[in-house]
Amino acid sequence: MKFKADEIASVIQKEIEDFRGQIQTAEVGRVIEVGDGIAKCTGLSSSMAGEMVEFSDGTRGLVFNLEENSVGVVILGDYLKITEGDEVRSTGALLSVPVGDCMLGRVVDPLGNPLDGKGPIISSETRPVEHEAVGVAGRQPVKVPLQTGIKAVDAMTPIGRGQRELIIGDRKTGKTAVAVDTILNQKGSGVKCVYVACGQRAASIAGVVEVLRENGALDYTIVVAATSADAAPLQYIAPYAGAAMAEHFMYNGQDTLVVYDDLSKQAIAYRQLSLLMKRPPGREAFPGDVFYCHSRLLERAVKLSDELGGGSMTALPIIETLEGEVSAYIPTNVISITDGQIYLEPDLFWKGIRPAINVGISVSRVGGNAQTKAMKKIAGSLRLDLAAFRELEAFAQLGTELDKATQQQLDRGYRMVELLKQPQYQPLHFADQVIVIYAGAKGYFDKVPVAKVQETEAQLLEFIRTEHADTRDKLVASAELNSEVEEALKGALEAFRTRISST
Amino acid sequence: MAERSTTRPDHVLEDPGAQAVASLYARSFLGAANDDNVDELNSFIDDVLKQNPDFRALLVSDFVGRDDKLSVVDRALAPQCSEYFANFLKVLIRHGRLDLVEQIREVVRQLREERAGQRRVQIRSARPLSEGSRSQIAQQLKDKLGFDPILQESVDESLIGGLVIQVGDTVYDSSLRTRLKTLAGRLTERTFNEIQSGRDRFSHPEGD
Repeated sequence: MKFKADEIASVIQKEIEDFRGQIQTAEVGRVIEVGDGIAKCTGLSSSMAGEMVEFSDGTRGLVFNLEENSVGVVILGDYLKITEGDEVRSTGALLSVPVGDCMLGRVVDPLGNPLDGKGPIISSETRPVEHEAVGVAGRQPVKVPLQTGIKAVDAMTPIGRGQRELIIGDRKTGKTAVAVDTILNQKGSGVKCVYVACGQRAASIAGVVEVLRENGALDYTIVVAATSADAAPLQYIAPYAGAAMAEHFMYNGQDTLVVYDDLSKQAIAYRQLSLLMKRPPGREAFPGDVFYCHSRLLERAVKLSDELGGGSMTALPIIETLEGEVSAYIPTNVISITDGQIYLEPDLFWKGIRPAINVGISVSRVGGNAQTKAMKKIAGSLRLDLAAFRELEAFAQLGTELDKATQQQLDRGYRMVELLKQPQYQPLHFADQVIVIYAGAKGYFDKVPVAKVQETEAQLLEFIRTEHADTRDKLVASAELNSEVEEALKGALEAFRTRISST
Repeated sequence: MAERSTTRPDHVLEDPGAQAVASLYARSFLGAANDDNVDELNSFIDDVLKQNPDFRALLVSDFVGRDDKLSVVDRALAPQCSEYFANFLKVLIRHGRLDLVEQIREVVRQLREERAGQRRVQIRSARPLSEGSRSQIAQQLKDKLGFDPILQESVDESLIGGLVIQVGDTVYDSSLRTRLKTLAGRLTERTFNEIQSGRDRFSHPEGD
């Protein structure tokens, strides 16, 4: 394609003709001290907390501290170019980011500037980064499921649209994988996703972006990236910026999913800012309002009432623990804010149980209402069965002779654990999950050697999809395991059993 | 800023803490002083401290004891000035705040101007102002803002044209430089939009 040069020239000419320079009025101050991403300024006598200011080189800042004789500003950008004596200009506006459909598929920094080299983002709309959450009247209970596509999560810790479910675990336990799988599974469901990378290595962010792109998930996803090389202020505002971008879709009646990866790094960035601003340190040197910092962020995840359009924002915050220490300050805070947590354990991870979800202590406080009826029916006893199996397993390790019933329970347990394993980036449709878990719970895998369970599972799904597609379609349509569907499913599973035993 | 008397280089800004202390002393000084005392303060700084830097160093130095400083003031200055001003100097010395005397003078000047309904207005222009435009600006400022402006002019050729007027912390910027900058920003934005809409026109709406 070619641009018509005269067309653009006429636009420019018209713009110049229409241009009437207004007198710009601004409140100014001067930098008296600058360092570590923080500037102390005089003047700016009527600036507000949280207001955006602009330094003479165009770098933006955020008014953080209002003191008797000076104003503490956090610098959102390169602070090395700002020197003592520079002019600071107030803008009278709160910090905002561009929002809208044009952001989808883009990788941006927390200020909304593109980082992916795909050209400028032209957005007519912006939204303040900090925004008050909807009140009580504007909400409704969480009822609609948000399918993560992960068997263990959808069956035992179901997540509803508008819920906040914490993903917590040590380093290298697959926290990001759970979140990324969930994003991948939103393909075709109309849920818009925002992935906020906060304090991550640039290489791992690039990896996530690549996975999203390869699986076609980038078309409905915005990636907000603040790497560990970015200044602390940027890391601090990244989750709020991501929330603002999702809120835009939510208030337009759409469903959204936001992943905050991860909030412990954000808390550390906030601690850095607070200490540099000379705010008093509290427990683990975090400032007193670090709880509020997270609660006001997660409180923005809601299911809106129908009067407000019925949109929703589901939040999946991620917290990294040290050596499984969930009673540290930030983990306890975020656990108490969220509506449940998915707890990932390194032991399980290294045993090959991936996703390494500890089903015993993972909970979802509101998701049960949001589960599909079919899943609810079969998953009801799953958690208890698995708990009983764990107990038995520990007992069986003592080497005692077991009666037949116990042995059978153990065997089934091993197979269920095997069935709940799932490879990365392969989310399953809820109907497939129901079929697999139903088959496992009803003992259709009992004759299959443990090592072959995953292989047989794939065969089963293939079998159902090709030869009993009508049964699966019925299940998808009704989302319920009524007697009709159950009978059809049983028939299909019997057929499958004879098929595999004959080969 | 041109008239601000300071021993430090111009680009180094005042410590807001020291400024606050100076303002406290200035208010107290003005509370009891008459015009003569203010003249004395000005003359003390201009005629004594500025002319004799060594004397200033002596009064400010930590090596000289407080009692010695006080007796120097008694012997050298007290006979020549009012009792009130001598006492003021002694208070400053006793509190170890004599180094703030220039800042105190600055605040005193500001306060006196404020009381007289005057305010300093910094005007930056690309070329020196003519007498006519100067009085016109002064008159307009007086009409709009309701005080007697004291104009402090400076010439900044990088403005290209127009004026930048600063009253307190508020800046009214009508310079050509800023207008051109705004225009440049608007033009790039419009051109981006045009290019984008051009691209949308050519590309498939569902994406490629």
